[in-house]
Amino acid sequence: MNKILKRLFGVGLTPNHVHGIHTSAPIAAWVQAKTPQSFLKHNRKIFPPQAIGEEPRPAFVCHQKTNFKYSPKKLWYIASFVRGMTVDEAIKQLSFVNKKGAVFVKEAIQEAQELAVKDHNVEYKSNLWVAESFANKGMIIKGIRRHARGRMGEVRYMYSHYFVRLEEGKPPKDYYKRNELTPQEQLDSWLEQMRKRKIINSY
Amino acid sequence: MSAIRDFTSQLKSKGRRFPDYSARTSFNGRVLCRLDPSGPRPRGPQAQGHADVSAIADFLLSTLRHAPAAFLQPYRTTTNKHFNPKYKKERAAKYLKIDLPKFDEDAGNMSPEKVRQKMKERGMLPPRPWIERPFYISATGGIFEAYIPPEGDGKASIVSTTRAKQTVQLLEKKSKSMMAVRKIKSFEEDFTTNEFCSQAQNIYIKAHESIANHDKESLRLYVTEKAYPEFRHNTWEKTIHWKFLESLEPPRVVHARCTDIVSKENIFGQVTVRFHTRQQLAVYDRFGRLLHGSEILAKDVLEYIVFEKHLANMYGTWRIHAKIIPDWAPPKDPSKLTKIRPEPEPEPTKMLDKPEETPAIADK
Repeated sequence: MNKILKRLFGVGLTPNHVHGIHTSAPIAAWVQAKTPQSFLKHNRKIFPPQAIGEEPRPAFVCHQKTNFKYSPKKLWYIASFVRGMTVDEAIKQLSFVNKKGAVFVKEAIQEAQELAVKDHNVEYKSNLWVAESFANKGMIIKGIRRHARGRMGEVRYMYSHYFVRLEEGKPPKDYYKRNELTPQEQLDSWLEQMRKRKIINSY
Repeated sequence: MSAIRDFTSQLKSKGRRFPDYSARTSFNGRVLCRLDPSGPRPRGPQAQGHADVSAIADFLLSTLRHAPAAFLQPYRTTTNKHFNPKYKKERAAKYLKIDLPKFDEDAGNMSPEKVRQKMKERGMLPPRPWIERPFYISATGGIFEAYIPPEGDGKASIVSTTRAKQTVQLLEKKSKSMMAVRKIKSFEEDFTTNEFCSQAQNIYIKAHESIANHDKESLRLYVTEKAYPEFRHNTWEKTIHWKFLESLEPPRVVHARCTDIVSKENIFGQVTVRFHTRQQLAVYDRFGRLLHGSEILAKDVLEYIVFEKHLANMYGTWRIHAKIIPDWAPPKDPSKLTKIRPEPEPEPTKMLDKPEETPAIADK
């Protein structure tokens, strides 16, 4: 129990949740949740100048949404869902996903899209695709719950981060490399398979 | 600590009062997941006690078998919750209630009352208002008595009438410049306009090279505090290739002025130098795409650069202060970067004037 209590009150941010603990309030007043820094550093990378006639390098923008109250495990499904879509398609699809996390992801993508046009020399805001999209664990607040026989357990209130990178241009045809066959190809392969069959005891 | 103590004491005291409903839940779970009435019956003493309930459930389920699948699908079969919702409150009481912080709430959009309330909650004091205003006194904030470049400079023939007029005007103004140069000489003994020109060109090149190299430290030495932000403007995350090719005409001093600021002894000197040079400029964005200029094209550049020195300061140096852009200068090249023009804001529709009807007032 001591271990949990120590975790609960040792690291700020549980200030006046519990009445009567006066010392923690002034600490909590200045506590800021840590936000990831390294992903946004990609926005600062400067590429060498291109020669004349070279194909222009596609612009990209990295963006993140941090510490929102949603489970990273659930967020993963949404993050993987939009990967490899065009921006317009992703926004359209997300508005029909009936999950709380879809709202955060949609907002993040829209913010990134605006940033791309404003700061990163992207001409058309529709000419972008979701090149990277992933979720991470954010801050975890630990709560306690009661168990039988005077025992107690830990509750984890999870926060998540969401990261997205939009790249200029068209998305690859088959992002997840599923090698989907066209109906004609499916038919052809089936026919081929049927013809290759060996009928036992025939000659 | 009191709340925690309460909670833990509650834990100990209530630990044994929990109803033992494990048997009922397991029974409940099994019946819900069973769809085949002829399947194995529940075994053991717990199940026997509820055999009659089980039979009813079996009957119900057997009728449900013919119902469309949509009815049967969406409920959880394994649940540890008691079927009677009256224990819901007790279940909720197992968790210690805590206020979770909201990191994504935007303090910018909050009303002042809300902000005040939040700060009171956290025991924070409102921030001290910042009344101080920094100002810098080792450089002036502008050009005094700016030089007006003659029209068509660098292009029109000297024989033309406009040029002839302008040269006459220039000669008249020259006396004031002479006075200023004499004033500068009283602070700086070996100041000559000819020598200054080569020094100015050196400063000019060094300043541009340091901006191309993104060298903030060295740029400070060649540029005054007024010109510094103007130099750095629009250079963020850009690659600049700049080359000084040659001087088409030797640089010459065209204008000089001195003024005192605040006190009589606090004198600043400003000298305008005319540069006619050939340069090369290419600006690339973060992704290495060409934004402006060209790597293979050289351009002739005519510029009037104002240099400033804090003469009263023993350690003052000549630095670039401003650039005079004449109003007859040709317009700038359009940017290679194209953008979608933002849509114009819709004009507010005018309400049609209606004669104001005075509401009927009842007589008193």
